[in-house]
Amino acid sequence: MSRKFLDTESPAWVAEGLITEAQRARLLARYPPDAVQAVGLLPLLGSILVGLSALSVVAANWQSLPTTMRLGLLLGSLLAAYAGGEYFLRRGNRRVGHGLLGLGLGLFGASIILTSQLYQLVGYDVSGLLAWVVAGVLLSYLYDSQILTLLPIVIGVAVQTYCTQALGLFSYATIGLVALGSGYRWWRRPNPLVGSVLSLGLLWQAALWVALSHAKITWFFVPAMLIYAVGDWHPNRAAGRALQSPALVAAYLFALGLALFGETDQYADRLRPPVLAYLGALAAVLAASVAGKRARGSLASLPDWLLLLPGFYLPSGLPLAVATLVVLYAHAGSVLARAHRSGEAEQLTLGTVLFVIATMVAYFKLTWAFLDKSLFFLIGGVLLLSLSWYLRRRNAQRLAAGAAAVASPGHTPASS
Amino acid sequence: MLTRTSPSHRLLLRLLVAAQVLYVLGVAGAGYATTAYGQHIWLGTQPVDLHGLQYESFVRLRYTAAEAPLTAWRGAAPPQPRQAVYVLLAPGPDSLATVAGIYDKTLTPGAGQAVLRGWVTEVYNHTLSLRYNLERYYVPGDSPLRLGKTSPAVRVRVSIAPWGQARIERVELLRKPTAGR
Repeated sequence: MSRKFLDTESPAWVAEGLITEAQRARLLARYPPDAVQAVGLLPLLGSILVGLSALSVVAANWQSLPTTMRLGLLLGSLLAAYAGGEYFLRRGNRRVGHGLLGLGLGLFGASIILTSQLYQLVGYDVSGLLAWVVAGVLLSYLYDSQILTLLPIVIGVAVQTYCTQALGLFSYATIGLVALGSGYRWWRRPNPLVGSVLSLGLLWQAALWVALSHAKITWFFVPAMLIYAVGDWHPNRAAGRALQSPALVAAYLFALGLALFGETDQYADRLRPPVLAYLGALAAVLAASVAGKRARGSLASLPDWLLLLPGFYLPSGLPLAVATLVVLYAHAGSVLARAHRSGEAEQLTLGTVLFVIATMVAYFKLTWAFLDKSLFFLIGGVLLLSLSWYLRRRNAQRLAAGAAAVASPGHTPASS
Repeated sequence: MLTRTSPSHRLLLRLLVAAQVLYVLGVAGAGYATTAYGQHIWLGTQPVDLHGLQYESFVRLRYTAAEAPLTAWRGAAPPQPRQAVYVLLAPGPDSLATVAGIYDKTLTPGAGQAVLRGWVTEVYNHTLSLRYNLERYYVPGDSPLRLGKTSPAVRVRVSIAPWGQARIERVELLRKPTAGR
């Protein structure tokens, strides 16, 4: 509740007899106006402007500066950023301290790149930039800071992207460092944002690997589901879900794409890796995932794997589209069933949305060719309206039952 | 994991920062060492477009050795775009290096020859174009290229270190691009 809200609303509370004038005065005293923060911003803005001016002077004259001076400037600003970070941390200002340490890490990468450029030096592997990832991972272990944990993941993505695009090779060391280094850091201190970003970063690197090795794109799902399986083993359920959701979203989008465009042989043929190798690898990951789910008691989420059913081995055309639609329906149904059992409102909404998407895809795929256009839109609209009415009623009933159960514990909500 | 700054903690940070400073100095050292211990070759270029210098601090060099006939390919399989290659360079009559062969694995050059690593960018019917990652030349403030002559042809001194790094040592204008050579 903001101070402004209190200021404007509290006279009415006194008038209605909710609180007395004395209580209102005490409440206002309890939340003093925070005018100090705005003043605190001024020095920050001022120093940013001064820093920008210094940066632009240096950048404009960069090529004319002597080599030693350029090197000195880079190392000097690197040392200054780290020293400033350490100084602010000692004074107890964690946010500024961690920010400056992160800036120091960024300057380290900039120093490597600009020094190579200074000598017009070309490296033929990623070893030059790998040091940046190593330094980032080590720094993330030294401090309990979200930003310093996120940085090596982002740096890893940048280095891997550069490596695959400019050097034409995949750096297994980079993905290994991020997966093991940042991954273990996350495992010890799970944080939803770090989990999702870590998962996204690793998926991006996996996608780069698939693109570079000209493998069939479905191989992407083996490393993706490996990340998912790791999420199953994490003792903290919420942390595990944060790691898993990017992989699940990718699998869902793929299944959706298959349902929409899988009919033409042109696409489907690019998706079929050698059957035994692909299914073997995926089955191994599935086994690891199931073992994790059983160990952590979360077998209810097993239907997530429905999305990974390799329907693309079916002959393309109608059989593939129909099979994918069945899978999409089964998945949406499993999410809805799980949500009804646990009574989580968010899961219920998600399941509803997935169900509606599957219905729309099915309808557009299967009836466009057979129905007159106006009839098509009429029936589709009626279908969606009735579906929304039905789902909303079920949701309301379900949530009301949950609320009744909470309101009167011990009394079974059989009547509702 | 330490959450508060303690003396041992500060020591770890200082070690990490010292390692980073040493690493950057190491990169600079590799630059010097490549010139000191490396093999030196001259590469010719197409006329250099200087217009970009008004907005950027580098020019794009188009090496004559970046185009090679497919007959120079010595690999077992046909070349693929983005493939990493080893280019055997031999000095021509004008001391500028020309492509003697393109290999898909490392090799030891003969006397007077050098191996420069590069990447295939495009494969055409009879030729193939290469990239050496030396195309971007950051023009120093005192370079003659800064004097704004239109499209001069230049020759580029490249050092190749025994451990595989390469760098542009310097760039010189070719005085008479057609008559002398």
